[in-house]
Amino acid sequence: MLLFVLQLLNGLQLSMLIFLLAVGLTLIFGLMNILNLAHGAFFTLGAYCGLVVASTTGSFWAALLVGPVLPFAVGALLQYCVLQPLAERGRSTHLDLALLTFGLLFATAGAVELLYGSAFYSIAMPASLSGHVSLFGLSYPAYRLFIIVAGLAVAAALLLIVDRTLIGATLRAGVDNREMVTALGININLLFAIVFGVGAALAGLAGVIAAPIMSVYSQMGIGIVVTTFVVVVVGGLGNLRGSFYASLIVGMTDTMAQAYLPEVELFAVYALLIVVMIVRPQGLFGAAGRVA
Amino acid sequence: MRSEVVCVKDPIPGQLETRPALKVRPFVIATGVAATILALALPFFGATFAITLATEIMISGLFASGINLLVGTTGLVSLGQAMFLGLGGYGIGIGSSLLEAPLWLSIPCSLVAVAIVAAAIGAICTRTRGVEFLLITLAFSQMFYGAAIKLRLTNGSDGMSGIPRPDLSALGLSCDDPAIFYYYVLAVTAITLLVLWRIVESPFGSVLASIRENERRTAAMGYAVGHYKIGAFVLAAMLCAVAGILQSQYTYFINPDSMSWQLSGEGVLMVIVGGANAALGPMIGAAIFILVKQGLSMVTTEYLMFFGIFFMLVVAFFRGGVFGAVRSLIGARP
Repeated sequence: MLLFVLQLLNGLQLSMLIFLLAVGLTLIFGLMNILNLAHGAFFTLGAYCGLVVASTTGSFWAALLVGPVLPFAVGALLQYCVLQPLAERGRSTHLDLALLTFGLLFATAGAVELLYGSAFYSIAMPASLSGHVSLFGLSYPAYRLFIIVAGLAVAAALLLIVDRTLIGATLRAGVDNREMVTALGININLLFAIVFGVGAALAGLAGVIAAPIMSVYSQMGIGIVVTTFVVVVVGGLGNLRGSFYASLIVGMTDTMAQAYLPEVELFAVYALLIVVMIVRPQGLFGAAGRVA
Repeated sequence: MRSEVVCVKDPIPGQLETRPALKVRPFVIATGVAATILALALPFFGATFAITLATEIMISGLFASGINLLVGTTGLVSLGQAMFLGLGGYGIGIGSSLLEAPLWLSIPCSLVAVAIVAAAIGAICTRTRGVEFLLITLAFSQMFYGAAIKLRLTNGSDGMSGIPRPDLSALGLSCDDPAIFYYYVLAVTAITLLVLWRIVESPFGSVLASIRENERRTAAMGYAVGHYKIGAFVLAAMLCAVAGILQSQYTYFINPDSMSWQLSGEGVLMVIVGGANAALGPMIGAAIFILVKQGLSMVTTEYLMFFGIFFMLVVAFFRGGVFGAVRSLIGARP
């Protein structure tokens, strides 16, 4: 029973990490109709940026604050200077843009390898979180608990922003009807770039947060991004709440498979996706009939 | 993924007669004849390096042709075709090392097995379109990748070695000779491309093209669109499996990396470089890709970064592909 609770907590922790990645991906898709295959690159960029900051200042918290800045800048610039102009020229469908970001994913991994080699790095855990916390009669690493809390906090903040603020209202309007929002005098290109940047920054945040417990290496984003795609499809493309629930489902499936059925570990998540695709091709929480 | 905007509205009747196909044909025949002579004569004046390079190009070209049947002809962008390349290789790997079956038995059996698997996967994947199709094919290929690593049958991440090449000792030839193996690959490639060309030109191929142009209208005309898409998926998978069989024979080896999604991406890149709609495009795309890759490996070890940048540039600026560019240069395009 104790072991099960432990796995439950581990699953929750993985879910929150995946959610930080998936939420950006789903926001970008929902608003701009771009499947950002390079999302894993922002995860890597955030982790390496955090690594540099942590090694110069020696503070994990500084890394956590500064790490997402680089992915934000790269993401916003990518959208504003590359993807948006290409989409406007009308030469590229959203599938072409997806393939372009696929190239970016590998270019980033290669560039990081050029700069830092293919060695494995790690950011030191902050001293205040390196202990254990006793919880339900078991001792659990404080840092993993911190990941869970951070993920929940980001989820709550995003929900609040999207549901309760003017920016959120503009965003929701942009998802529903892009032309109408433009007609109301909103600079949609700027909004797109900011949302792209925020999505990338959240992925970068996930990178920094993951750095103390996972190894940091040049291709770290390539593996995790496929799991994120599963979340986004299961949750329904472009569905914010769906991506939260789907993160929980995928994170739990992965953790439980690793703990109790190690022989299916590498494909349990994909099997889940395939079942979802057979039963509900539009995703578990997607609005019916959405044509991507 | 259309490389050119095709008139969806009703064309003016007279325009149908002067389709570019008529003008292109002499050019295609001329290149075809030149390519055939060049391909047959290569081992007589080429160095071993050139022969192995040409072998690699043909194998990659077959793989790209399989992808092109989905991406270019039917308009379904898949990022998971490497799974069928791997399945083909593992098919004869398991057939020859575990079951000790001869190649004339294990190759057809592998292809039939791939066709059955592809029909099941295709039935699920073709329920979606666009980016969702791309994602679910990717997920399937990752699943097979995971299975290939985990299963004892496939010898995990070490892969299987000792994949046999065809035994031509009855003719007094040895396939271990690069030139002989080159002719073997050339023959398989030529036959496969001929069959593929017949399929694309057949009524079946026309329906696939019309699905790409307007799926709803095709369905409204009474075609069972779903069945045609599954058919295209199965054929594409078998083409990739043929490439996989040749690839594993070429390296005498197969491992899970041949199912990676980077390889699927490389195939899509070859298709885009070659021009998504052209018949010989995938071959030309594969040739350019392999040559660029070889050239890069001489100047830098950072292959991954240049692959990514090359990919981005091609998608952004090179949509008609090289073949499209050449065709517009000689004025064959309307």
